[in-house]
Amino acid sequence: MHDEPSSTAPAPVAHLQLKAVLLLALFVLLVAGTVLYLMYARGAFESTQRLVLVADDSEGVGVGMDITFSGFPIGRVRRVELADDGSARILIDVPRRDAHWLRTSSMFTLVRSLVGGANLRAYTGVPTDPPLPDGAERKVLIGDTAAELPRVVASAREMLQNLAQLTAPDAPLATSLANLQALTDRAKGPRGAMGAVLSDGDAQKISASLKNAAALLARLDGMAAKADTQLLGTDGLVPQGKATLAELGALLGDARAALKRVDAVLVEAQGVAGNVRGATADLGALRSEVDATVRKVEQLVDEVNRKWPFARDSELKLK
Amino acid sequence: MPEPILRHVTPTELAGAARHLVAGWWGIVRLGALMLDMALSRSTYTRESWRRLALHIVQDSGPMLAGFTVLTTLISLILIRIVIVTALSYGLTQYALEMVVRVLVLELIPLTAALFAALRCTIPNAVEVITLRARGQWGASADAVAETLRREVLPRMVSGVFSALLLAVVSCTVTLVVAYLSVYGPVTSGLAAYTRTVGHVFNPAVSLILGLKVVFFGLAVALVPMAAALDAAPTRRRAASAELRGLVRMSVVILVIEAASLVGNYY
Repeated sequence: MHDEPSSTAPAPVAHLQLKAVLLLALFVLLVAGTVLYLMYARGAFESTQRLVLVADDSEGVGVGMDITFSGFPIGRVRRVELADDGSARILIDVPRRDAHWLRTSSMFTLVRSLVGGANLRAYTGVPTDPPLPDGAERKVLIGDTAAELPRVVASAREMLQNLAQLTAPDAPLATSLANLQALTDRAKGPRGAMGAVLSDGDAQKISASLKNAAALLARLDGMAAKADTQLLGTDGLVPQGKATLAELGALLGDARAALKRVDAVLVEAQGVAGNVRGATADLGALRSEVDATVRKVEQLVDEVNRKWPFARDSELKLK
Repeated sequence: MPEPILRHVTPTELAGAARHLVAGWWGIVRLGALMLDMALSRSTYTRESWRRLALHIVQDSGPMLAGFTVLTTLISLILIRIVIVTALSYGLTQYALEMVVRVLVLELIPLTAALFAALRCTIPNAVEVITLRARGQWGASADAVAETLRREVLPRMVSGVFSALLLAVVSCTVTLVVAYLSVYGPVTSGLAAYTRTVGHVFNPAVSLILGLKVVFFGLAVALVPMAAALDAAPTRRRAASAELRGLVRMSVVILVIEAASLVGNYY
């Protein structure tokens, strides 16, 4: 660090002037660039229009704060002032290229959260409405989380009081819990849960019933085993049924053959019936002839009767 | 009987020390006024003085510019990474960028640049002046002293101020670029949001305070060590003492400037 200066005369440096000018130019360039960039970042080069939001309370709003639309910053608070009527006037510069998002029907909210700063937000429901004019004044709706706190605290207090009443020693809940404890104590006894819910006599009856049921089940089990043997055993119903079915199948085959034969017989019977029908037709003619003969015989008998001496008068006369 | 460790200080000694202290600070003010007067006088602007100034600017600022830029980039990268990862873990990413810009660009980097310029440029320049005085290359008459001040001290001081300003501007610019790249990566899609955040941080008051702070840092690191060098007796033996005294006074001045800027920014 303690370099000895060789002389008061400066040591020669190659391209001294150029290097010095380059360093100075770098410095000027960086300063000018930084200044221009900061001016651009502050919105010095963009044309803006004024929007005035009127709020009852401007707490949390600061100069330089953004107003957002759908999460995108579209304007910046330039000034906050107190109006003659006591309300707060928040003056916002909105770049003209972003002003088309704001319409005459747009709503503006100021939301204060517990953590972090306040947020100014714009909402446009009808994007086809006329654009918001320059210098427009709008009421801002305030959503204050801190203002909700007293109500929340009151509700919490009420809830805690209810809870305290519930958990008091003479509260119904405590009595119920004591009863429940007595119930569980009984349930832990020799009769278990049944002893907890039933009287001793009933519990004994239930126990006896359960024993009977167990014996019954044992018997049923034996019966089931026997039924199993009888049904599915070697000589059970099922194997016999199978054999019977086989025999039934054979019988059915025989019956089918017999039916075929019956069918042939029927065909023959049909032929016989045809013959009988012919004979019946002949019988008709025969009958008519017999009828004619009988009538003739009857006429003959009538004739004989008239001529017979002991003939009776067969006519009926009205007197 | 051994000497007591805590020696009794007589009122005369105390008054002498106070007078010496006040004289030291008054010497800084006088030297500043004298340098300002010389810088504004027409006779200073000669071809020879420009050549000397150019030489000091190139010798002081040129060699350390690249190294300091690399150092600043590394420090910025580490600090930005720490801030962003911490903010991410707490779910406060929306405040990370603003915090990076505020902590680094507004506070840490200008301070680092000023201290770096002091250690690499202005304190060695002050030691050179002490050496020159010790060699007897200092005029005896008032005119000769003034001429020596104009020839030897003024270029070194201007060069020192320029070094501090150049390092501050370069490092702030580099930090802004590194912050953008660390948060958004090598894409241009985040430029609008980043520019808005930067514009949000650098309101007119903050920008003015930053500019004034950087300028006063430059003046402090250039003026205070040089005033200590001129205040000291022109002997090699007292050079180290003058250097230390200058360093202490410079630290005090830098601390006061930093405190004032903090008060201006946050109160």
